[in-house]
Amino acid sequence: MDRTDRTDDFLKKFEGKLTNVIRKPKRLYFVVDDKDIREVAQYIFRDMACRLSTATATEVYDAIEVLYQFSHDPSGCYFCPRVRIKDKKNPTMNSITPVVKGANWIEREMFDFWGVTFKDHPRPEPLLSRNHPNKLDKPLRFGRVS
Amino acid sequence: MKLSENMNQVPVGPFHPLLEEAEYFNLTVEGETVVDIDLDIGWMHRGHEFISEQKTFTQSIFLVERICGICSTSHPLACVHAIEDVDNIEIPERAAYIRTLVGELERIHSHLLWLGLAGHFIGYDTLWMWAWKYREPVLQMFEIISGNRNHYGVMRVGGVSRDIDLDRVKELHKILDTVDAKIKMIAAAAPDDPVLKSRLVGVGVLTNQDAIDMCAVGPTSRASGVPWDVRKDEPTDAYGLVDFDVIVLQNGDVWDKLVVRLLETLESTKICRQCLDKLKTVKGPILNNVKEISAGEGIGRYEAPRGEVFHYVRTDGSNRAIRHKIRAPSYVNIPTYSASCKGIPIADALITLAAVDPCYCCTERALRVKGEDPDAIDFVKLSREKTERIRREIHGH
Repeated sequence: MDRTDRTDDFLKKFEGKLTNVIRKPKRLYFVVDDKDIREVAQYIFRDMACRLSTATATEVYDAIEVLYQFSHDPSGCYFCPRVRIKDKKNPTMNSITPVVKGANWIEREMFDFWGVTFKDHPRPEPLLSRNHPNKLDKPLRFGRVS
Repeated sequence: MKLSENMNQVPVGPFHPLLEEAEYFNLTVEGETVVDIDLDIGWMHRGHEFISEQKTFTQSIFLVERICGICSTSHPLACVHAIEDVDNIEIPERAAYIRTLVGELERIHSHLLWLGLAGHFIGYDTLWMWAWKYREPVLQMFEIISGNRNHYGVMRVGGVSRDIDLDRVKELHKILDTVDAKIKMIAAAAPDDPVLKSRLVGVGVLTNQDAIDMCAVGPTSRASGVPWDVRKDEPTDAYGLVDFDVIVLQNGDVWDKLVVRLLETLESTKICRQCLDKLKTVKGPILNNVKEISAGEGIGRYEAPRGEVFHYVRTDGSNRAIRHKIRAPSYVNIPTYSASCKGIPIADALITLAAVDPCYCCTERALRVKGEDPDAIDFVKLSREKTERIRREIHGH
């Protein structure tokens, strides 16, 4: 089993497309443009044989950030592409579910809680709040947007 | 899915005497064959991620311990790993062995619990009674270690909260010997059992490609030939210091999932024995004094009995996380039903659904009902109003 760390190869492959690169032991965080996310995700998932652990939406002062966490299991390294969505009122980005089937639920959850619309998602509907007792007129975690 | 003339829909749940948790499956059947399955989750309202972001790091550890009654060490362990990952904090060697011991004991009791349930689901109650009987001493070991049979409160950032003295180590050794003998007995008997084999071999197959595509984890993926195990891939705590094997099988059916768990239980007893041996000789502190966590991001994970538990924290230099993401293994394993349940007889659907050892309270850790929304329903208030209404109806005033 090849347990080589492939971080350097990855950085070389996508040179110019990655910004705000944070490199820690076995962790690589970087910002990628929305138009490139599907290509980057496909390379990480198919070519590097990484597994999608999950994705995390976070609200920061000027954007909604969506951070995908891919695990390269043979080496124990994490590759984390981050997409910053500036339009906080109508956050929209490309879905990676067409290339990573395992992203289906987590993207639905982020749509559900953070109101992020994922373009080309096969089933763009709420995941956890479909049976919510309240009639929801906004995503559950969208209240803190100023 | 569009229904044809020969198709029917069979709803299971969300509330049903057989189901331990609120869960809903809509099975589309053609004759007796399942042709499609729709899953509907979101029946439990918990809000752990949001609440954790209001708590200090230490309080969060207690909170996440209560996400799941079975994985009550996996979540806090992944949580402390995530917080430690922000600053690359190291822990004392003795603490590493205690963490690993508690984690592996949890795996033993969880796998035995599943084994019993699996036996019960297929009407083989002897297996259920055996497995649960021999799970009991493991809970006693937890009581010796922490004072509790569940929710042990052991994990801390920088180490563990309590030590295990030599007398207790000897006591634990004795109980482990008993447990080990009994598990070996089950592990020898179960694979030769004709009832189990005829009921489980070839049932609910998850192919290797489906397991990879759907990012399945733990015994669910290892039974389909995917060799990943966090304990080997990123060995934290004492996993790099002990000897054990990762169990991987190839067929992906319910039988292989059962055998993976049985063999993993034996590996866990092996790890526990090594940890207890080391606790006799490795001395020193059990907790590094961590004064503050700097601003940054951390990923923590742990191989829970059901697979990888994942925690992500984002910090701003204060004493709490500004974002705490939690992903339980069931969250990625439950969607595999859409691959493993199609084409099987409806009678096999139940054990196939149970085979991933699903945990819905973990899966639905995020939803909350009451919070910033002033119009949200307050269930406590509703409950009180109902009690008052019934009281008035009975007493007439």
